Amino acid sequence: MNYPFWNVPNVGSGWVIGMIAIFHVMISHFAVGGGFYLPLAERKALSGGRGQWCETLRGHAKFFLVLTGVFGAVSGVGIWFSIGLAHPEATSTLIHNFVFGWAIEWVFFMVELTTAAVYYYTWGRIDSKLHLKVGWVYAAASFLTLVIINGILTFMLTPGDTWLSVAGTGQEASKFWEAFFNPTYWPGLFLRIAVCVSLAGIWALVTTSRIDGEAFPKLKTDMVRWSAKWLIPSFLAMPLLLGWYLWAVPESQRALLTLGISTIGSGTFSQVTRAALVIVMTSATILGVVYFLAWRSPVDFSFSHALAVLALAVMATASGEYSREMLRKPYVIGRHMYSNGVRVKSVPQLNAQGFLPNARWIRADVSPEYAKGEAMFAGQCMSCHTIDGYRSMRRLLAGRNRAAIGNFLTMLHDYKPDSPYRRFMPPLSGSPDEIRLLGDYLDHIVSPTAPAPTGKAVASLH
Amino acid sequence: MGTAVYNWIDERLGLTEALTFAKKKTVPLHAHSFWYYWGGLSLFFFIIQALTGILLLVYYRPGADAFESVRQITYQMHFGWLIRSAHSWSANLFIFSIFVHMFSVFFMKAYRKPREFGWFSGMGLLSLAMVFGFSGYLLPMDELAFFATKVGLQIPGSTPVVGPLLADMVRGGPEVNEFTVQRFFALHVVVLPALFLPLLGLHLWLVQRHGNAVPESEAAKPVAERKSIPFFPNFFAKDLAMWLIALNTLAVLASLFPWDLGKPADSLAAAPPGIHPEWYFMSAFQTLKWLGSWFPGALGEFLGIGVFNVGILLWLVIPFYDGSTRSGQRGRRAHYFGLIVVTAVAITTIAGYWSVR
Repeated sequence: MNYPFWNVPNVGSGWVIGMIAIFHVMISHFAVGGGFYLPLAERKALSGGRGQWCETLRGHAKFFLVLTGVFGAVSGVGIWFSIGLAHPEATSTLIHNFVFGWAIEWVFFMVELTTAAVYYYTWGRIDSKLHLKVGWVYAAASFLTLVIINGILTFMLTPGDTWLSVAGTGQEASKFWEAFFNPTYWPGLFLRIAVCVSLAGIWALVTTSRIDGEAFPKLKTDMVRWSAKWLIPSFLAMPLLLGWYLWAVPESQRALLTLGISTIGSGTFSQVTRAALVIVMTSATILGVVYFLAWRSPVDFSFSHALAVLALAVMATASGEYSREMLRKPYVIGRHMYSNGVRVKSVPQLNAQGFLPNARWIRADVSPEYAKGEAMFAGQCMSCHTIDGYRSMRRLLAGRNRAAIGNFLTMLHDYKPDSPYRRFMPPLSGSPDEIRLLGDYLDHIVSPTAPAPTGKAVASLH
Repeated sequence: MGTAVYNWIDERLGLTEALTFAKKKTVPLHAHSFWYYWGGLSLFFFIIQALTGILLLVYYRPGADAFESVRQITYQMHFGWLIRSAHSWSANLFIFSIFVHMFSVFFMKAYRKPREFGWFSGMGLLSLAMVFGFSGYLLPMDELAFFATKVGLQIPGSTPVVGPLLADMVRGGPEVNEFTVQRFFALHVVVLPALFLPLLGLHLWLVQRHGNAVPESEAAKPVAERKSIPFFPNFFAKDLAMWLIALNTLAVLASLFPWDLGKPADSLAAAPPGIHPEWYFMSAFQTLKWLGSWFPGALGEFLGIGVFNVGILLWLVIPFYDGSTRSGQRGRRAHYFGLIVVTAVAITTIAGYWSVR
């Protein structure tokens, strides 16, 4: 609790990460899948004497270089910035455990960036076999970045019993490989490979849709259909891989998927079910739309058609990433750290000694009581809630008076085994006095006419 | 085996004949071809309406139990919330698609000879769709539905002389209550489908008979330069892709923004702030509000209803005014009239939402 709080009004810090991450995933997975698409397509062009293919592929390589090398790289750094600000505790844990993992990834990343540039700029300037080899080096390097980052991402959902047994002892890094090859590593890796392959096809459809179908009907037909084929293996494998992945996820997390079957409402935590529905529906739509528009009528397949497919892919990716994040609830690192950055093992200590004694970022320009209530909100609620926007406190607590808010906070603090909120929300840690001040603060937020925690005028703060 | 079954059916139903006809039929291909999909999309959303409506019918109980049955659908039945959300969202998308279809037909001058009856039947379908929407909105009988219906009935109720009587008849009394729900339910699931389906059949037959209209810029080209694609399988495959995208849009909306259920309707409670009718009635609602405030009393009511009736009539009879296949002064005037209508509807709708924000 020595970090400052990052307050992003209305949107919430989680969505800042989410928006950057969705954009990044669309590009980074293309960087991996496209890394195989390009040399395979070039090999096909060279072996079959398809000279016209090479011209299109060169254009695709340029698009690929700009998209992955600029937007992919920048958004990757953006994730680092945003997770560091939104979740400093969790980021710190990851760095302490996986610093060598990231070092290895960055080596591959440098190779990836360099070979992507060499691949494009040497097109037609060096021997075609050597050029193809450059493409394969790129493919291998980009694939290895996925191999590494997948270990870290899956660790956050399922760190595994071995790593958890040393968590908090200072010996965590000694269990690097156990944490890396955690229970969801392999299904997670294969699932991402499937996404990479299909995104390679979808992005290639964007490029090939721009071929003039009237002037080059055969070229367009061949290239559009060949790109469309990239969706088939992954879409056939996806249901099985999803099943495998869910099987590896702990039962308590998997249960979140069924919460929304019989009911709705943000208060009943049905988001995972609803996002899962969107994934299934949108994935099926992508396959159908590609079949009807690209496979059946490749010559008429237009740029706007390709953009429609891409938009659907963004939707499926966004839902997938959202579901993956939500599956981790109430943790940010499974069974080790709650989504508000509080370590599971620290809760009894925080309840006994208070949440705020180690806080260094409490405001001094308002009354101490108000500042403490606000700091409790910032430290324990703000990583998932905002005042007025996403998961708005004003909306969720509307209609509750001070006593009702107090009861609700007590329930979160007690964290009894049968509490439905345990499935999604971390416990509320802190001393009774701190919880009272948080209650006063929330009451003042929900009912601005309610007295501020001290009676000092603070309405102008919000 | 498959061929034998096909032949057996073909011999009796003439499938090959229908298929040959579909292959011969062509759809023009030009810069504005995108607008051809909206009629099909409207039909698609209507089919969704019918299917989800039948599923809701299994558990819905009109009358005094209306709210409780919708509560069970939303909070107890497996995926009941999804079916209800899909029904509500597709109702809105259905009316939205018809509006887009209507304006695209208008601006492509597809109401001109010999397609006048296509235009009239389309207008009839839009009117019925709006009544579908209005009658369905009350059925959950929650607070919002109750007061929105109450406000919505002010529109026919403000008709001079017959208005109050008309509103009483629709409500089944002076107030919106369980009897109104019964009436709206009967209207929604029996009367309206019975009117809609034959009219839809006529509309589709007319589309089939006269084919797709082309915009003037395309019609002016020599026949050799015009492009077209066979309806089957080329356009049909694209239509199916559009339907899939529409279905996906609906699924996303229904899943991520599920239709909520408010508190049970209470006629003694105060109306919640900002109550207003659905978006497709907002323009009419706001216009009546403005006219009522500018011309208080009976004059305002008379003017309001007069403006609407004259406006709708002019819109409806546009094929008689601008019926020639070649554009002249009348064609231009009709075009300006369309632009004025679009602008007026947009401004009054935005103003309506602004006033109740």
